[in-house]
Amino acid sequence: MTVHTVQLRINGEVTTVDVKAHWSLAYVIREKVGLTGTKTGCEMGTCGSCTVLLDEKPIFSCLRMAVDAEGHEIQTIEGVEVENGGELHPLQKSFIELHGMQCGFCTPGMILAAKALLENNPDPSEQEVREAIGGHLCRCGTYVRIVRSILDAAQAVRAS
Amino acid sequence: MEYFSPDKLEEAYALLAKYGDDAIPIAGSTFFMSHREDLFDEVRAVINIKRLGLGYIEHADTGLRIGATTTLNEIFSAAVCRSGPFRVFSETVDELKINEVRNAATIGGEVCIAGEVDMPTTLLAFDANIVIGGAQGTRTASMADFHLGYLNNALKPGEMVIEVQVPQPRAVASAGFAKFERTAADLPIVNVTTRVALDADGTCSEARVAVGAATAAGIPKRSAQAEAALIGRVLDEQAIAAAAAASSDVECIDDFRASAELRSLWVKCGVEDALRRAAGQARAGE
Repeated sequence: MTVHTVQLRINGEVTTVDVKAHWSLAYVIREKVGLTGTKTGCEMGTCGSCTVLLDEKPIFSCLRMAVDAEGHEIQTIEGVEVENGGELHPLQKSFIELHGMQCGFCTPGMILAAKALLENNPDPSEQEVREAIGGHLCRCGTYVRIVRSILDAAQAVRAS
Repeated sequence: MEYFSPDKLEEAYALLAKYGDDAIPIAGSTFFMSHREDLFDEVRAVINIKRLGLGYIEHADTGLRIGATTTLNEIFSAAVCRSGPFRVFSETVDELKINEVRNAATIGGEVCIAGEVDMPTTLLAFDANIVIGGAQGTRTASMADFHLGYLNNALKPGEMVIEVQVPQPRAVASAGFAKFERTAADLPIVNVTTRVALDADGTCSEARVAVGAATAAGIPKRSAQAEAALIGRVLDEQAIAAAAAASSDVECIDDFRASAELRSLWVKCGVEDALRRAAGQARAGE
């Protein structure tokens, strides 16, 4: 199996990684780059926990070949605080304050999907929030508080 | 497994010709990566076709031309698909509530899968044509002829889908899409797209009723009976009910997602629902 050397731009930093063609971006982010905030649950595009932003759009990093992620801006949950000047993003604050999680496994994916939503639509309806996290499972069942956290953060983003 | 990312169509065709059946063109990679355990052993060459300039939606008098690597979300947000005769394309995408997949999955992939996806049902209702490229030249197949059976398409070794062409419907045309699934993020159990052309007096002069994800054949099929029940009639509740009842000619599959009996019922409901949406669009004068 051929090894490809790729330069991945993750959270503003360029990392050079040798990858095999079948390695998923999720695997490389976690196991080769060491950013374990991105979770892998189902690894078949069903659970949403591996979501990252690729050029500001949410994608499932388990369904993306790492070799096919070169030349794009990738943001993981670790990059959200960095981008926000070292402070927690309003979404992160509201998830903590309103307890939009139980075990926290789905949280990075939820926050990144919500961040992409708020960037395009700073005043979403509850329905739009629900649709934005449609591809994300929370097995603890904290959806009600997740939706509330996102709506609360939207308000904070608008006020800031 | 080798990986290639050519930037010229000729290079892609040469690679496809070289590896034949052992090559797979990928773009969004959602299907390929979610079936990697089965596919990695079979595939010798993965050819990424995203750098070939096949991501576009062009509209002319003759209709739409959609490049194979155009993503579902690009179709969803294209102005030409947000209103007018092609509005149902945007609505079809919107019934899949997984933004992450919509940002990656492409129309070419949806067409090639020949499985439980939504867009081919809409393409069948619009008499779409699939443009197939290869080192030997290009050819065109109708949506109906392109799907041979479940997970089986008409591509020969060395070929790939490069474009989808959707003819412009007649001036007064409207369409609707309806879908049943376990959750809004799951694969469809039944999907239905209807398209009607109406004469000046409101009678239906052309009708398409396409049913996908549910058929015994494993690929989208048209209901000839439901279409016949609409021709020459005004698209009112009685005509809609008659067409829904007539859709029983679609033979449904019995599998772990749903029984054939339940699917047949949902096909009827889907036909009704999709026709009501088409009638609503016609009333709104779009």
